[in-house]
Amino acid sequence: MTDIILGLIQETISGLALGCIYALIALGFTLIYKATEVVNFSQGEIMMVGAYIHFFFLNLLMALSGGLNGWIFLLAFIGSVIFAVLFGIIMDFIINKPLKGEPVFSVIMATISLAIILRSLTAILAGPLSIIPISPFGDQTFFLNGVVISILDISIIFSAITIMSGFYYFFNHTKWGIAMKATSADAEAAQLLGIPVNKVYRYVWIFASLVGVLSGILLAPRMALIDTSMSFLGLKAFPAAILGGFGSIKGAIIGGIILGIIETVSLGTLSFHFSWIKEINDIIVWIVLIAVLMIRPDGLFGVSKVKRV
Amino acid sequence: MKSRFENENLKWIPFLILFVIFLPFVLKSATFSYKYYLYVINLAGIYIILTIGLDILSGYTGLMSLGHAAFLALGAYFSAIMVDQLGIPFELSLFLTPLLVGCFGFVIGFPALRVQGIYLGLTTMGFGFIVKRLIIVFSSWTGGSSGLHVSDAKLFGWTINSDWENYFVIYFFVIISVIICRRLVKSKLGRAFMSIRDSEQAAIASGINLPKYKMISFFISGSFAGLAGVLFAHTSNFISTDHFDILLSVYFIVMLMIGGMGSIYGAVLGTLFIVLMENLFIPLFEDSLSKYMYLETGDFQAFIFGLIMLIFIIFQPLGFYGMWLKMKIYWKIFPFNPRKRFI
Repeated sequence: MTDIILGLIQETISGLALGCIYALIALGFTLIYKATEVVNFSQGEIMMVGAYIHFFFLNLLMALSGGLNGWIFLLAFIGSVIFAVLFGIIMDFIINKPLKGEPVFSVIMATISLAIILRSLTAILAGPLSIIPISPFGDQTFFLNGVVISILDISIIFSAITIMSGFYYFFNHTKWGIAMKATSADAEAAQLLGIPVNKVYRYVWIFASLVGVLSGILLAPRMALIDTSMSFLGLKAFPAAILGGFGSIKGAIIGGIILGIIETVSLGTLSFHFSWIKEINDIIVWIVLIAVLMIRPDGLFGVSKVKRV
Repeated sequence: MKSRFENENLKWIPFLILFVIFLPFVLKSATFSYKYYLYVINLAGIYIILTIGLDILSGYTGLMSLGHAAFLALGAYFSAIMVDQLGIPFELSLFLTPLLVGCFGFVIGFPALRVQGIYLGLTTMGFGFIVKRLIIVFSSWTGGSSGLHVSDAKLFGWTINSDWENYFVIYFFVIISVIICRRLVKSKLGRAFMSIRDSEQAAIASGINLPKYKMISFFISGSFAGLAGVLFAHTSNFISTDHFDILLSVYFIVMLMIGGMGSIYGAVLGTLFIVLMENLFIPLFEDSLSKYMYLETGDFQAFIFGLIMLIFIIFQPLGFYGMWLKMKIYWKIFPFNPRKRFI
């Protein structure tokens, strides 16, 4: 019996780390959805590109200096962040600007096509080689009352908390954050009050791209290797965003964490004790999602919209 | 009584059907590799049946589906199991399977009554994943991920086992489907669908039973996908879960968007364009490009795919159908065009 409890605790911590990644990706969806009502299907691909770029910078710097130290990680991180900002601006130019006023469905399809382009382009440019990622925090584990805890998971959880609280501060206590909130509430009214709405949209895309790249950097060491199939994790973060209710930042974070824990626990201890779970553990997320949507069609924290004719 | 099609020019329809009938003969006399072309055109035919059904759902009723490959899979596996393992004749399966898959359309249509927009898209996507997993779970019937061999179709004692024969069977059903759908969207049912697409609130206010019509839309769409699945299983003779990927569902919507949503001929054109592009033109580029760099098969294809799609969405969101409409208007008021707004 204690075995099961210890296993559950261990997997919950691991699931919390995975859930934090889901939450970050879901945060990217939510940011864009809140501001522009567009569902960005390419968030998972941005994450994958982020992981690749981070690794590319690491490799480049290691080849230049001949060793591996903390500065290299920092420089590679800064390089990836700059890339993310540029990428966000490009996305704004490709997706947001030309498709203003088009039906939401076409914009969604545009993001899907961007996702296809990104995935295939990465596969063409980076080749079929799979890269083994490294982390600045190492991959040691330690014991705590019989529970095995990986330092990597802890570092992911803490980084994610830092990023999320950074975003929380930004949205609630800075000028641009409040401008973003105003724009997402009512773009026309915000424009009347002198908020540069187009600039706000560009910042939103930049932030979404930034969150995507950061989640990619965080996730990469947890994977055995980086390849283009990493972007399918973005599809798994969808249920997270939906579960919390699209458009609610709190919902995205909680939904992500819930799904991460459900997935890890069902994959581990539960599947050893109940063999039927093993058969369905890669779709359990979707079953939970459909069940929740049956009861609450707007997710756990979503607000149902009133439509005018 | 007035005909529904009175303001449409239908004279060219017989010529189109004649063209469909004589196309394989023309191909055979023109090229040696006509068998491959026929194979590609057959695939396009199967996808046309499915995209027409998807058009009823997405283009006419306005319900997003990101899991249509699941319906195709259900059709293919149901028919394969019924014909090969239960011994039901193919002719019966041809009618039973679309009905069965249509009932699955009911199952997935049920959430459509509560959830809307992107929530529905994600629910259908989840349905796609669940169906794919279920096929693996029931591997004693379906062969799991290693795939399933399917026997040739036997239609009233006539065994259909070459691309040549497949062509006529598939395009017979394509023509039937196009005719059914054209009549459907002009009927009371089609008008109800369109009113739901344009405004649900207004549709309710004018007395349209929303749940009923949404369910019917899912049923029709599922049935067409089921028919496509039957043809797919018995003409390709081998099915596995890899054939029904989530990306395929996305590609179906791409076909629809490039053809133009809310137009049956648009769906046909878009499907033909994408399938021919994918199988005939892109491999040519890929071959010449792979002399200079290493290319994994499919990557370049997907890249061109995404690019075409993005360009269409940005510059021509209504697809081929929109182009056609613009051209028609251009020629109608030809010398007095307000500005040069062609295409």
